[in-house]
Amino acid sequence: MNTVKAVFDYTFREHVRHKVWLSAALFGLILIAGGLVASALAQDERARMLLDLGLAANEAIAMISVVFLTVHLILQEVESRAIFLILTHPVRRWHYLLGRFLGTLAAVGLGLAAMGLFHWLILFALGWTGEGSYLLAWSCSLGKTAVMGALALLLSLALTSEAAAMAFSVFFWILGHFSSEMNYIAEKSGSSFMRAAILAFSRAAPDFAHLNYRDAAAAGLPGHRWMAAALLYVVGYCAACLALSVQIFEQKEF
Amino acid sequence: MSRPLVAAALGAALAIGADVPLSRQAATFPPLSQLPSTPFAVQDASLASAGLRAGAADIAWIQLLEYAGHGLPELPEAGGPVSPSLQKLTMRVVSLDPRFHRAYLYGASILGWEPGVNRPEQAAEVLQECLVRDPGEKLCPLYLAALTFQKKGDPERMLGVLESTLDDPRAPLMMRPLLANIYKKRGDYRKSLALWEIILDDEREQNDHPRAVKQITELKVLFKP
Repeated sequence: MNTVKAVFDYTFREHVRHKVWLSAALFGLILIAGGLVASALAQDERARMLLDLGLAANEAIAMISVVFLTVHLILQEVESRAIFLILTHPVRRWHYLLGRFLGTLAAVGLGLAAMGLFHWLILFALGWTGEGSYLLAWSCSLGKTAVMGALALLLSLALTSEAAAMAFSVFFWILGHFSSEMNYIAEKSGSSFMRAAILAFSRAAPDFAHLNYRDAAAAGLPGHRWMAAALLYVVGYCAACLALSVQIFEQKEF
Repeated sequence: MSRPLVAAALGAALAIGADVPLSRQAATFPPLSQLPSTPFAVQDASLASAGLRAGAADIAWIQLLEYAGHGLPELPEAGGPVSPSLQKLTMRVVSLDPRFHRAYLYGASILGWEPGVNRPEQAAEVLQECLVRDPGEKLCPLYLAALTFQKKGDPERMLGVLESTLDDPRAPLMMRPLLANIYKKRGDYRKSLALWEIILDDEREQNDHPRAVKQITELKVLFKP
């Protein structure tokens, strides 16, 4: 596990120094501050709008950051041949992948935490006493970011093209929020083969509607079972994507 | 079977296992196909499919406020006196986010009691929708009761019910000026004056302060205690 920690440390430091990551975090802060102006239009619902805009901006910035960073993560080291140097050391390939993934997630999580804290302070200053839990909404965004990161890593290794991996990541992001519509299309489909195919494809894609707590916060706090199931879903999906990434990565010849 | 594939299968099994209770407890949103047909359909669908349903509802809310205030250029009847698309735009907000409590109350208040609009049937439809989709909202049944009293020709009880909701933080701010106008129209200048004075003291109702000053001056002439 020491090797995982070593890879984690250097990945985390590399990302935190990265200008793209810093710009994304800064842009997120500007978006949240911009929400202060836009929310004035919502009259009685100013706090609600500021909450929604801020959470959406946090999540969008985290998603863009994690996809951009993860897609480059391995492919760039393969292109620059830096990976040869790393793999000549006694580093197992799955340790390398796990360390890289966790380091990236920690860096993006740090940005998400900074944006979340800034956003929460603004809401607190405005006297927000809304329904639901801010921490849970933030945690669900982190969960989505983790799933998206693992999926983007798998896609980058499977497709070996940064552009294709990014395009497919965005596609899965949208599809992940489209699960109820996919079920609706499957229901309306006349052919049982089509219905099965749509449902299978829909199940294979991540179901982000499960983690979209910020859109359903007004319904109140979900129970502990829901939270445990959401955590298991994130861990299970990430583990499946990472294991498939390891399978592909171990078959690669450098 | 290699170890990574076994791990992938276990991870997938874990995710599928967790999917079942999550699907059972999922917050249900109306499908996008049930959104009322408006010129903003593409905007709504694209935001909702990016997972920004609450954000889409917020934008729809601002557009509803704009429409009620001075009309929207996207709607042909923009700026008309009777706001024919008001119910549709209200239903659009609550179809995007069924727990947008204030949208039901705001839309129903204008449809039911705004002078010149006078569409209590549409207001009742909005409130019925609230009872189904947002059963925790306590003001919707009260507003519906007030509409029923209005329909039965019992304005005293209607005003009594509406007045009992004024201090609730979830009641739309525009309810006070609406009630003040109804009282003035009925010749109850004392109650109207009292409401305009409350409006003038409330910082949240700054938009109505110039109107409140004008009404208070006018009512002080009419009302001689």
